[in-house]
Amino acid sequence: MNKIFIVAKKELKGIIKTRSQMLIGIFFALWFSVMTAPVVKTVEESAVFDQFNNLIFYFVLMLGIFMAYLFSGKVFFDEKREGNIETLLCTPLSLRQIWSGKVVGVTIPAYLIALLAAALITVIANVFSTQMLLPSPAIFLHIFLVVPAFIAVAVGLLGFGHFLLGMRENQILNITIFFVIFLALFFTKTVISGGYAVSWVAIGAMLVVAVLLLALISYLTRFLSKERIVTTIP
Amino acid sequence: MIEIQNLTKTFNGKTVLNGISFEVKEGEIFGYLGPNGAGKTTTMRIILGLLKPTSGNVLGQGQNLGENEELRTKVGVLLENDGLYEQLSAHENLDYYAQLYGISEGVARKRRIGELLDFVGLSDRMAEKVGTYSKGMKQKLRLVRSKIHNPDILFFDEPSSGLDPEAQRMVRDLILRLSKEEKRTVFLNSHDLDEVQRVCTKIAILQDGEIKAYDTVEHLRRRFSKPIVEITFVDNEESKRAVDFISALEYISFCEAENAKVAVTLKGKDTSTLLSTLMGAGIKVEEIKKTSKSLEDVYLDIIHKGREQNE
Repeated sequence: MNKIFIVAKKELKGIIKTRSQMLIGIFFALWFSVMTAPVVKTVEESAVFDQFNNLIFYFVLMLGIFMAYLFSGKVFFDEKREGNIETLLCTPLSLRQIWSGKVVGVTIPAYLIALLAAALITVIANVFSTQMLLPSPAIFLHIFLVVPAFIAVAVGLLGFGHFLLGMRENQILNITIFFVIFLALFFTKTVISGGYAVSWVAIGAMLVVAVLLLALISYLTRFLSKERIVTTIP
Repeated sequence: MIEIQNLTKTFNGKTVLNGISFEVKEGEIFGYLGPNGAGKTTTMRIILGLLKPTSGNVLGQGQNLGENEELRTKVGVLLENDGLYEQLSAHENLDYYAQLYGISEGVARKRRIGELLDFVGLSDRMAEKVGTYSKGMKQKLRLVRSKIHNPDILFFDEPSSGLDPEAQRMVRDLILRLSKEEKRTVFLNSHDLDEVQRVCTKIAILQDGEIKAYDTVEHLRRRFSKPIVEITFVDNEESKRAVDFISALEYISFCEAENAKVAVTLKGKDTSTLLSTLMGAGIKVEEIKKTSKSLEDVYLDIIHKGREQNE
């Protein structure tokens, strides 16, 4: 098996076995879906479809990034804090293979929870709506391509930061990111009620941005070194 | 074989290793000793390619270990940090590392893991999460993890730390077996001087980033310590009388009494000369024996001398 997938499989197993983390993820997906999906009840009949799509567009993406943040902490930050990374760096894996494996291993469960949230929102919105609501084709593309790509970007960037920075800088960064994402989720209703409809162009542009960001982060990992990681282990 | 040539490492202008050189031959058990902060872990990290040397060379089997992935498959490590995943079972932990080291065939991997867990007596708990293990059990698991891929060279950082006496003995036996039967090279970083004395063929003592001594255990003991003669007298009074007498002898360089026992270091004469001199003076000796310093004494002497020189 490819070494990247060996690392990814182990990270995936580790996240699933850490039940508290999975439960937190599922709880957030459920809670924010229940809190935000009934918004379709408050808008005019003609705007319901756009409002529903806007909700999925924004919320599923933000929740996916939040899950990426949550799981990255375990996979990158804890591994460094506990010093396990040092043993891993002695194996015949390159730093880039380790980083890539971890990104894949975190992206999959974070994306699955984002998909769960998309399904929950669709079900709850239909409960509160008089018409049948399904995501538009552009939103489907968003869910199946843009969301996982942005989750991978978030995981990659967070992992890069966790490896590069010292423990104190990482803790400050973690707290800051947590509040930014939490506030972004909290104000979902305000953001989606801007009276716009998500277009193919917007989704396409986001996909391009995600791919460019992935390429940039992948390039940035060249600047990571084993020495930097080892000397910032507490 | 590992060759360290004139290795220097500085961190932010501070020299942590200052031009150290030594070599570890194939099949040798090499003990690397030194007080905390001497630079032992830094040396090990440089050899393993985790840190880059400021100058000097580190060669493993003639090649740079840090830059050669293929060579890293021949190296097993047990470092200061756990390297174990607490949410995974012992079997899953070993399975993960076995795959990373390229043991891809499932049946062979399973058999190898089974053998290793049997060896350290963890077979019946292999499905339990490592987080539920005691410190000693984790240490045993780390130990077998380091040799899961049958490496040629093993780096052990305090392998007996946290183990009970029986398990410590198991570690010692394992290290000896790795060297004698399997012809593996072992680099042992340890504070347990008794363990080092029992298993190591050669040692280096590091202090303030410099090698203060590098030789076999036996040579070091001979080089750094003169034999001590321990004399037991019939009572304390006789001991006091003997100390006054012995101290006046010109071939005595050291004399110290503790109740009825007196420790003496001779200079140029042998034990029989001292004994006949004492008997000639009418001093009643109950027992006389020749001892030599332990590795611990030698180590402490070297470290204290190093400190005095620095002051």
